[in-house]
Amino acid sequence: MKASAMPVVAVLRHRSVVFLLVVAVAWGGWELFLVTTATVRIDPALQTALRERAPLAVAITLGFAPENFHIRLFQSYGIVSGVRGNTVLVNRVSPDDLRRISRYYWVKRISPQSESVQ
Amino acid sequence: MMHGWRGDLLAVGRGAAPFALILIAWALVTRANVLPAMFLPPPADVARTGWDMLKDGSLWTNIGASVGRVLVSLVISVPLAVGLGIFVGLRRRLSPVFEPIAGFFNSLSGIAWLPLAVTWFGLGWVSVIFIMFNTIFFLVFYNTLVGVRSVPRIFEHAVRTLGGSRRHIIFQVLIPGAMPNIVTGIRMSIGFGWRALIAAEMIATSTGLGFLIYNASNFHQTDTILVGIVTIGILWLLTDRLVLQPIERWTVERWGLVSSSR
Amino acid sequence: MERHWEIVSTWVLILAATIAAWSLGAATLPVPDYFLPPPSAVLSAFVELIAKGMLPIFVAESLRRIVLAALLGLFVGVPIGLLLGVSRVTADFAYPVLNFFQSVSGIAWLPLMLIWFGFGERTILVAVNYTVLFPVIFNALLGIRSVPQIYVNALRTLGASRWRIVRDVLLPGALPNIAMGVRLGLAYGWRALIAAEMLVGANGLGFMIFNAQTFHLTARIMLGMGIIGALWVVLDYFLLRPLEEATIARWGMVQR
Repeated sequence: MKASAMPVVAVLRHRSVVFLLVVAVAWGGWELFLVTTATVRIDPALQTALRERAPLAVAITLGFAPENFHIRLFQSYGIVSGVRGNTVLVNRVSPDDLRRISRYYWVKRISPQSESVQ
Repeated sequence: MMHGWRGDLLAVGRGAAPFALILIAWALVTRANVLPAMFLPPPADVARTGWDMLKDGSLWTNIGASVGRVLVSLVISVPLAVGLGIFVGLRRRLSPVFEPIAGFFNSLSGIAWLPLAVTWFGLGWVSVIFIMFNTIFFLVFYNTLVGVRSVPRIFEHAVRTLGGSRRHIIFQVLIPGAMPNIVTGIRMSIGFGWRALIAAEMIATSTGLGFLIYNASNFHQTDTILVGIVTIGILWLLTDRLVLQPIERWTVERWGLVSSSR
Repeated sequence: MERHWEIVSTWVLILAATIAAWSLGAATLPVPDYFLPPPSAVLSAFVELIAKGMLPIFVAESLRRIVLAALLGLFVGVPIGLLLGVSRVTADFAYPVLNFFQSVSGIAWLPLMLIWFGFGERTILVAVNYTVLFPVIFNALLGIRSVPQIYVNALRTLGASRWRIVRDVLLPGALPNIAMGVRLGLAYGWRALIAAEMLVGANGLGFMIFNAQTFHLTARIMLGMGIIGALWVVLDYFLLRPLEEATIARWGMVQR
C-alpha cells in the first residue's frame, strides 16, 4: 500500500500544491506592487495631513468615468459629495482609509478638494 | 430485527423520532418567547397556515408549478442530452473536444444563466425552463459522454471478434456500459435542477414554491415561509424515496456497477 | 501523434466556427443590440472591467465567501459528521434529519434569513455556509458508517484501543466520502453563493451579472458567466478533484 501511495502523493504535489503555490506567490507579488505604488497616487499636498488623525476631504481622480460601483465603494469610506468628470469628491475620509484607497491600482490621483479639478 | 408490519412501524418511528424532537424543541423555544413571533412563529401557527393553504389551493398551485417545471425540463433535456452524449461519445474525433466544453458548461451553475435568460425571454416560466434545461442538459450530456468513452475497449473488441456489427457494439456494449454514468448524471441533475429551480423562481416568476417563500419574506409572513420550506423538504424526500432510490437500486441490480459522482 | 493533430485541428475548427457564427449572428440577427453582443464586446468588457478595478473586486468577494464556507465545512462539518457517525445510535438518529436539511438548500432558507438579518453580508454567509455544511456532515457520517465492521473487529482482536481504531481504520476509511462530501458541498455552495449574491444584491459575481441585466449590459453578463464557470473549473480541477481521487486511490473501498 505504501508503494502505491507515493505516485498518488506525487500527483498531488504536481497539481494542487503547485496551484496553491502559484496563487500565493502571484497574490503576494500583486499586493506588494500595490503597496509600493500606493504613495505615488497621493498628492504631496496631502502627505502632511495624512499624519494627523483628522478626517479629510479629498478629490479622487480615476482614469475613467466612475460607475455606480465606484460611488458605492467610496461611500463605504466616507461621504460622497459629488462627481466632476472623472473625479469623485469624498468627505470625512480617515487617513487610514485614504491609504487603503490609494492602494487601488485603478485610482489615478488623490488630491485635496481645495484644488480645482477637471 | 422485527419483520412484518411491526418492523415497518418501528422503522418509520425511528425515522420520525428526530423530527419529533425538533418539533418539540421548536415549540419550546417559541413558548419561551425568546424571539419575536415574526422571527420564529410557533409550529402550531405554521401548521394552521399550511392547512389553510392546502384547503384554498394556493399551496397546490405552487407545488404544481414547481414540480411541473421540473418534469417538463427533465422530459425536454434528458433524452436530448443522452442522445447527443452517445452520438458525440461514439465519434473519437469529437469526444475529446466536447468533453471539456461540456465540463465547462456543467460548471456554469444553472442560476448563472438567469440574467441572460431574463434578457432574452423576460420574466416568466420560459426563463425558468431555460435555466433548468441548461442545468440538466449539460450535466447529463457530460456524464453520458464520459460514460460512453469510459467503456473499456476490450468489450468492443470482444463483440467484434464474435462478428458483431457496429449496431451491436452500440446497443449491447456502449450504452449498457455507460448506463451507470448516465443514471448518476440524471440523479445529480435532479438535485442541482431542483435547487436552481427554487432560486430561479425567487427572481424570475410569480408562481412556484421559490416565489412563494421569497414573496412571503417581503411581507414578513414567516409562517408561510416555513410552510414553503417544509414543503420543499418533503417533496425532495418523496422524490428521493420514490424516484431516485429505485433508479439506483435498479441500476445496481442490472449492471452491478456504481460509479462515483461528477 | 496523428491523433494529437486530429484533436488540435478539431479544437481550432470548433472554436473558429463558434466565434464566426456568434459574430455573424450578433451582426445580422433582427434583435436589439443588447440581445447578442459579439465576442469582441465580451472581450472589451473584460478589459474594461479590469481597468476599472471592478472585476477583481467582484471575484475577490465571491472567492472570499466560498473559501470561508469551505473552511467552516472542513473544520466544523467534518468533525461533527465524524462524531455523529461513530456511534450507531447517533448515526441512525441524525441520518434522516441531515438528509432533510441537506435537501432544503441554503437558498430556500434565504427568505427567512432576510427577515432575520436583512439584506447584508450575514444573510449571504449563512445561506452559503448552510449549503456547504450539510453535505459535508452527511457524507462524513456516511463515510464512518461505511467502514466494514470486519476491519474494526480485526483491529479489536489485535487489542487496539478505541482511539487506534478511530485513527487507523475509521478515519482513513471515511476519507473518500469526506472528500466527496466536501466536493459536493462546495459545488452546491458555489451555486448557492451566486444565487444569494443575486438576491441580496450587495456585491460579488452574482450581483455583477444580475445588476448588468438591469442595464442591458449583456456583454458583462456573458463575461461574468464565463468567469463563474471558469473559477469553478479551476477550483475543481486543481483542488477538489485531485483530493477526491487521491483519497479514493489511497483508501478507497467500494461500499454499498
